[in-house]
Amino acid sequence: MALSRRDFLRYGTAGLAAVAVPGLAACTSSTATTGSADTGTTALWYWGDGLSDKVVDAAKTQFASQTTLEPTKVGGDFKQKLTTTLSSRQFVPAITGIKGEDMANFRANADQFADLNEYGFKDLSSQYLEWKVKQATTADGKVIGFPIDIGPTGMFYREDVFAKAGLPTDPAEVSAKLNSWDAFYDAAVAAKAKAPGTFLVINAGAIFNLVIGQGTRRFIDENNTFIGDQPHVKAAWDLAVKAHTLGISAKIEDGSADWTAGITKGTLPSIIGAAWAGIDIRNNAADTSGKWRVAAAPGGPGNFGGSFLAITKQAANPQLAFDIVKWILSPDNAAKNFTDASLFPASPATYTSTALTAGDDFFGGQKTIDVFGPAAQKIPIAYEAAADAAVSAPYFNQLGNVEQGQNADEAWAAAIKEAKQIGERQGVK
Amino acid sequence: MTARARALRSAWPQYLAISPFYLLFTVFLLGPTLFSLYLAFHRWDGIGEMQYVGLDQFRFLIEDQTFWLSVRNTLIIWVLSTVPMLLLALVLAALLNSTKRLVGFYRVALFIPNITSVVAVAIVFGALFATNSGLVNITLQGIGLPGVPWLTDPWAIKIVIAMLMTWQWTGYNALIYLAGMQSIPSELYEAAKIDGAGPVRAFFSVTVPMLRPIILFTVVVSTITGMQSFTEPQVLFGNNSAVNANSGGPGQAGLTMVLYFYRTAFGQNDYGYGAAIAWAVFLIVMVFTILNWRLVQRRAD
Repeated sequence: MALSRRDFLRYGTAGLAAVAVPGLAACTSSTATTGSADTGTTALWYWGDGLSDKVVDAAKTQFASQTTLEPTKVGGDFKQKLTTTLSSRQFVPAITGIKGEDMANFRANADQFADLNEYGFKDLSSQYLEWKVKQATTADGKVIGFPIDIGPTGMFYREDVFAKAGLPTDPAEVSAKLNSWDAFYDAAVAAKAKAPGTFLVINAGAIFNLVIGQGTRRFIDENNTFIGDQPHVKAAWDLAVKAHTLGISAKIEDGSADWTAGITKGTLPSIIGAAWAGIDIRNNAADTSGKWRVAAAPGGPGNFGGSFLAITKQAANPQLAFDIVKWILSPDNAAKNFTDASLFPASPATYTSTALTAGDDFFGGQKTIDVFGPAAQKIPIAYEAAADAAVSAPYFNQLGNVEQGQNADEAWAAAIKEAKQIGERQGVK
Repeated sequence: MTARARALRSAWPQYLAISPFYLLFTVFLLGPTLFSLYLAFHRWDGIGEMQYVGLDQFRFLIEDQTFWLSVRNTLIIWVLSTVPMLLLALVLAALLNSTKRLVGFYRVALFIPNITSVVAVAIVFGALFATNSGLVNITLQGIGLPGVPWLTDPWAIKIVIAMLMTWQWTGYNALIYLAGMQSIPSELYEAAKIDGAGPVRAFFSVTVPMLRPIILFTVVVSTITGMQSFTEPQVLFGNNSAVNANSGGPGQAGLTMVLYFYRTAFGQNDYGYGAAIAWAVFLIVMVFTILNWRLVQRRAD
């Protein structure tokens, strides 16, 4: 068909009008058509490996008679996408995952979420680790997150390298002998002397992060006051700087190419991290299977990561949403979440289940629950303010500078100055 | 009805036809831009209530050493990348202009880096320049030279980022220069030849002066894109995003203005301050674009 310019314009505008008008209409009235407002469907947002896909599929069938569960794996920056969606109040999922490190921020906007206590979490609360529930509890006692998993820390180490360096090799013995940071540093110095090029510490920032995680106070207290210049932070800082001055820090960025090379070759024979860090080691150093073991972290356990499921205020049927969440995270399914997606359960009762007590070939058949189980129950409760992560950033940057040769005292002063500035911007007193 | 109104009425299909651009522009560009200006006077975590803070965010900005560090980093990386990029592009274009064989192949080869995903390239660069296990250091050590801590030394970090940007944009600029060179009348070259000019003399006396408007264009575009570099340092040093630290690598040596804006707004949920940074970036880019434009143009006069 030959189209004249005039015809083209005419058809074009008609077509445009046809597209644009319903499009605009949809923009203004979509609250009525979102999944969450429609009782027929329940939208669930999570991220890859945030839940076991098999469990989510089973939940679809389980609740098929009551609702159509529509799970979506949201890729990219999950927190950002959830923030945008909550802010626009459009297409808000009824159920959404919240990562542990973002919880403090969403807890500050608790009015966006349902109080799970109202739907029956109160009776279940005692099954979960107290510190974990506390993370999702607001000052006035609302619980906005149902615990999915936790990240208790332990020390992953290469048995073969430890043997060569003259260090203890048996997990129980390592846990007993390297139980304090001083003992760990002594071992690091000894290992480096025996096998030059071997570093037990990745970088000073990692130590700082671990030590802060082992304490009961962070950078901002419950009264929204800055406490990042107080002795507990200085002690963590000094310990981190000591790793640099002793020369036991590899000064490598976590997850970099040098990190991968280090854990494969054995020049980085110990990684202190959350239970899920075992997957990173497994994925990046598959050839070293059987050579790794897990012991208790020096200085005591801490927690990294671990997430929650929350129910938004837009959920059409919060009780049903809660029942779905409760089912997905039931003790039986928690074990499946562990097997399929390595999600370490937040309910101590599951630690005796066969899924968790099985030996792991990557760790030479060791039952890693013997380390992580007790660690999980000893994690200290610390208040984490919404601005905590932002305020902590300068300490890590300045520790990086110290490792590049900057004077440690000047770096400490600079870190505090910058942390206070960030705090001031975010309304911290 | 006035003539003007009549003209408007009869031309409505045309206005409607061009309206999609203006509608999309308003919704996706003008709206957010104005909103960001509004945001810069507030404190907002992205969900809760906005709080009016007046000029506080701009006061913070002036006092914020990390911001000024990011400005310095951006300028250094921009100079380190733009100067070699444009010089190299000019040489490549001149070479390509004088070849007769495989022209299509060379053009495609030059353009491929530009359409390759920056993220993929940055990951490859990260592996190549790793301190202990990277190919570059292994090669350096193989020929008896000491290795360089590419991704930890503040200057080396900037050089790696600049190299990445040079690698990506040289071919693109070379093709623009090539197009410019092909529009230079061949009589000028013939006249130059008759006057006894060799190829080098012809390049500096004919090609470069005739290309000035094109060079101006590439300088302006490189300024605008170079000052907004973000992906390169973000991918090279993005590992530690969980704790928000080390943005831009050790010593924050690769922290560019836009990366700092991103970390502040989206990493730390400080959207008001992020908006203030974005407007500062806009002003700085504008000032440098005008400076460059004036500089290159004055030389043309």
